[in-house]
Amino acid sequence: MDTEQFLAIFKEINSAVLIEIGVVIAAALLFIWCSQRLLPMLANHLHGKQRLFVLALIPTVRVIVFIFAIVWIVPLVIEPTARNMVAILGAAGLAIGFALKDYVSSIIAGVVAVYEVPYRPGDWISVDGTYGEVKHIGMRAVEIVTPDDTVVFIPHLKLWSNLIHNANNGGPSLMCVVDFYLHPEHDANQVKHLLEDVALTSPYVQLAKPIVVVANEEPWGTHYKLKAYPIDPRQQFQFMTDLTARGKSCLRELPVNFAQLSPEHAAQVGPY
Amino acid sequence: MAESNHWQLIPLDDFERPSAPASTLVQKALIRLHSLIGSDADEDATPEDQDFPHYREFDLAPAVAAVDDAWQELNKTPCVRFVVSPPFSGTGAILREWAEQQGYQQLQVPNVEQLESADTDAWWQAQKCERWLLDEFSSFWLRTTSHMQFMRSLLPRLLRGELGEGVVVVDSWTFAFLQRAWPLSLPHCYCFAAATPELLRQVCIEGSDKRLRKLAAKARGNVGVALALWALERDSERQAPQIPREADDGTAFILYALLLHHGLRGEHLQWVLPMLAPDQLDVQLLRLQQNAVIELDDEGVWRITVYAYIDVRDFLAARGYWLDGF
Repeated sequence: MDTEQFLAIFKEINSAVLIEIGVVIAAALLFIWCSQRLLPMLANHLHGKQRLFVLALIPTVRVIVFIFAIVWIVPLVIEPTARNMVAILGAAGLAIGFALKDYVSSIIAGVVAVYEVPYRPGDWISVDGTYGEVKHIGMRAVEIVTPDDTVVFIPHLKLWSNLIHNANNGGPSLMCVVDFYLHPEHDANQVKHLLEDVALTSPYVQLAKPIVVVANEEPWGTHYKLKAYPIDPRQQFQFMTDLTARGKSCLRELPVNFAQLSPEHAAQVGPY
Repeated sequence: MAESNHWQLIPLDDFERPSAPASTLVQKALIRLHSLIGSDADEDATPEDQDFPHYREFDLAPAVAAVDDAWQELNKTPCVRFVVSPPFSGTGAILREWAEQQGYQQLQVPNVEQLESADTDAWWQAQKCERWLLDEFSSFWLRTTSHMQFMRSLLPRLLRGELGEGVVVVDSWTFAFLQRAWPLSLPHCYCFAAATPELLRQVCIEGSDKRLRKLAAKARGNVGVALALWALERDSERQAPQIPREADDGTAFILYALLLHHGLRGEHLQWVLPMLAPDQLDVQLLRLQQNAVIELDDEGVWRITVYAYIDVRDFLAARGYWLDGF
C-alpha cells in the first residue's frame, strides 16, 4: 500500500469535524469524570449489596461511554469499509506489537475484567500476596487499599496469568477465620459450643450466615478455627478482634489452658 | 362488641403484612434519595423538645377478648404458647390484662446469678405455679455467652412442659434472634393480625379507607406505630425523628441491641457492646437522644422511641441486619 492509497482511507477533515470530535471527546471525558466522582459518593451512603452494585457501575459506565465515543468518532475520520478497517487495524496491530504490548494488554484485560468481573470496586482481593479492598478499576490497573492504608496499583495484565483471590466476590459476605490454640486437656465439644456462642453474641456477626467451628488435633494441642461472617466486609478486622478478645476471655473462664508452643511449632502454625 | 371487634390473635405463620401502595413506595424512595443527597434543612428542628403525644391510649378490652376467642377454640391447651410482639404493638399489656383475668401468675425474671450459672431450676422452684405468664422474655437476658446458656437450658424445659402451662410474650426481634440461635423452631406461636382500616377506626383513628390503608402499610400493620404516625400527621408542627447523619456502625450496634432486648440500661449496653469505649457509648446515646430516636425512661432504661421505630428498622435493613418478621 503506497502513501496515497493509505491516505485515501481517511476522510477529508475540516474544522467542523474537528470541533465535533473535540466535543464528543470532551463530553465523554466529562461524563466519565462525573460518574467516577458521583457514584462513589452515592456508594458511601449505602451499605451491603446496594453499595457494591453502585460501585460496580463505575467501570461499566466508563467502558460503555468509551465504546460510544469510538463508534461516534471513527466514521467521522475514516470511511468505515471492511478494506479500510483491515488496513487500519493492521497498522495499529503492528505498532501495538512492538511498542505498547503490555500497556494495551492491560487495557484489554481491563475490558475483560468489566465483562468477567473477577473483581469489582468494594471486593476484597488478594493478588501476589497483596490483600486489600478494590477502590478503583482504571483503564490499565486496579487500585486496592491494604488494611495498612497503602494504595497498591495492580495492572489488569495480572488477570491473564495470576491467581486472583476474591474474598467476597461482589457480595456482602466475607468469611473471617479466627484461630485459637489450646492445651490438649479439655472438653472439645464444650469449647466448640462456647466458640459458636462467642460468634453468635458478637454485634458484628451476620446472623443470616452460618457459624462453624473446626477442630484439628496437633502434637502440641488443639487448633480451633472459628469461621463466621461480619455484617459488612469492611468490619472484618474489628470482627476478628472482637472474636479473639471475647473468645480468649470466655475460654479462660471455662477454664481452658492455651497451648504453649515452642518456637519451632509456632513457626509451623502460620496463617497459610 | 363481638361483631365490631377487629382484633384477631392468629398463628404466627398466618401473619401478612399490609402491602404498601405505590405512592407510599415512591414517597419512601424520595425521602431516601433526599437523605442521600444530604439536605440539612431539618437541623433547625429540635426533636428533643417536642412533646410527642402518648401513643398507646387504646382500649385493651377488645384485644383481650380476641385472645380469649382464639384460645377458647383450642381443643387442648398446649404446655406453652408464645405470643410474638412487634415493638410498640401493646401485646405485652394486652397479655398481662388477659393473664390477670384468667388467673395466670406473672413470673419474676431470673436474677443475674441464676442467668450466669444457667440455673433454670433455682429460678423456677422459687415461684412454681400451675399457670403463668412470662411477659419480659426479651428484657431479662443479655446477648452474652453465659446468658445464651440459660436460654438454651430454659427453652427445652418450656417445650417439654416441665414448667407447667404458660404464656410467653416475646419481642419480634428477640424471636428472630432465637430462631437463629436455637435450631428448633418454637411451636404454638401467635401474634396479632396486622392492622386493617377497620381496626384503626376501632382504636379511634379517623380517615378514609384509602388513607387508613396507607397508614397501616406505613406502620407495617402495627397498631401502636400507626397511632404514633397518625398523631404526627395531625400536627404539622411536629416532625418525625430522623437517624442522625453521623450514624455509623456503633449507632447500628446500639439500635439493634435496644430492639433485641426491648431497651437496655447503660451498663447493660456496655456489657453487650464491649468494643465501644464508655465515652463513645455516651456520645452515641446522647446524639440519638437529641434526635429523639431513643429516650431514657424513669427506670434508667434506654429505649427506641415509637416515632423513630420505622426509620430505625429501615436503617438496620439497609445495613444488612437480621430483622424481625414484621
